[in-house]
Amino acid sequence: MQDIKNIIAERAGAELKDGEVINLGIGLPTLVANYVPEGVDVVIHTENGAVGVGPAPAPYCGDPDRANAGGQPITLGPGGSYFDACTSFAMIRGGHVDATFLGTLQVDGDGNIASYEIPGKLVAGMGGAMDLLVGARTVYVVTDHCSKDGKTKLVAHCTFPLTGAGEADAIITERALFRHYPDRGFVLEEVARGYTLDDIAAATEMKYTVSDAVKMEAYGPGKDE
Amino acid sequence: MPKNKVVSLEEAISHVKSGMSVAIGGFLSQGEPRTLIRGLLETDATDLTIYACTGGFKDQGIVELVVAGKVRKLVASHIGTTPAIVKAFHEGTLEVLLTPQGTLAEQMRCGGAGIGGFLTPTGVGTVVAEGKQHIELDGVTYLLEKSVCTDVALVRAHAGDAWGNLRYRGTARNYNSICATCAEYVIAEVEFLYNPGEIDPESVHTQGIYVDAVVRSDMSYCGKPLSCD
Repeated sequence: MQDIKNIIAERAGAELKDGEVINLGIGLPTLVANYVPEGVDVVIHTENGAVGVGPAPAPYCGDPDRANAGGQPITLGPGGSYFDACTSFAMIRGGHVDATFLGTLQVDGDGNIASYEIPGKLVAGMGGAMDLLVGARTVYVVTDHCSKDGKTKLVAHCTFPLTGAGEADAIITERALFRHYPDRGFVLEEVARGYTLDDIAAATEMKYTVSDAVKMEAYGPGKDE
Repeated sequence: MPKNKVVSLEEAISHVKSGMSVAIGGFLSQGEPRTLIRGLLETDATDLTIYACTGGFKDQGIVELVVAGKVRKLVASHIGTTPAIVKAFHEGTLEVLLTPQGTLAEQMRCGGAGIGGFLTPTGVGTVVAEGKQHIELDGVTYLLEKSVCTDVALVRAHAGDAWGNLRYRGTARNYNSICATCAEYVIAEVEFLYNPGEIDPESVHTQGIYVDAVVRSDMSYCGKPLSCD
């Protein structure tokens, strides 16, 4: 059975549009590169200074000077190139990245994202995420619905330090897909196989409405598969 | 003829004195000037303020300076890959100022370019914005961020020449080319040293005028070929 990370990555991949320049955060979001739909070409930007990221090299053939933002080795696809950090963030902040996919610790109904610190416990640092949230045209939060302790990540109000205020445009979990609209806030548009509307409501604290056209069994394997 | 700037590691690194601010290039292990960092480890310099994108990777890189007790403050965008830095921060032995990666890069670029400060929307509505002037232009709110200049910069390039011209390779460039502009004294380690006049002028990424000392990299520190871990 497909694991949670890949269920989410595959559904996120289906969002990609031909010709988009995309940035994939470290961790789960990097898997989105494995699910680019047939007939869709995207250009992958990595904040540490490359655009046109291509396939991973063969194992143990990695080049220390060619890696992504998570330190994983990369190769460039045709047309790719390398550049410095200022150029990288000029691309990001200047609106030249169409979509960014990132994980999170918390996301709330106002589109606030908290992804880099649990005070006193976990301090990763924001890295390029704050720039990506303000710069990218569409921000996809791709995450498991709940954290390891069973608590929902889709909270009423973020309590951890914010990476961005009001920047989330869509949330994709293994259970559901929500899209943010300026006049309506988050709308539940898709529910994955094996989950009911009540399941989603029980696992989600953040405010949302259910779309009139909500798609049930929209993606993912069923729970028993 | 431009001056020959190739010196020994010891001579170059002796310019880092206690209490100084040091800009260090690198993103995780990529392009991290580890020959210079390990040279700095051997000196008595302490109480340093370091400006860098990350602290290295696992237990290697800038984190080694922190573990050795040489660093008072680290200004960086991401420390999650170096547990010892997080530990020192939580224990109170290291001050950390987390700064968005694009902001820190632009701070150094402006510092090296004589620009006193700049406006960025990054961080508005987060803790990064606290205490900073907010300026609205055409309906967009920006933070006023000040530029950064340091006493010393440590950078790593793939190739260079005796005059300090530098060329970087792949994603190892990252912050190196920017750090090379914003410090009073810039030390560059290079993996390959061209003979004078041999480097193609079209391929120079950092002009020699920015660089004060050139040191040959110890190639045993260039990082192992990466597997997918």
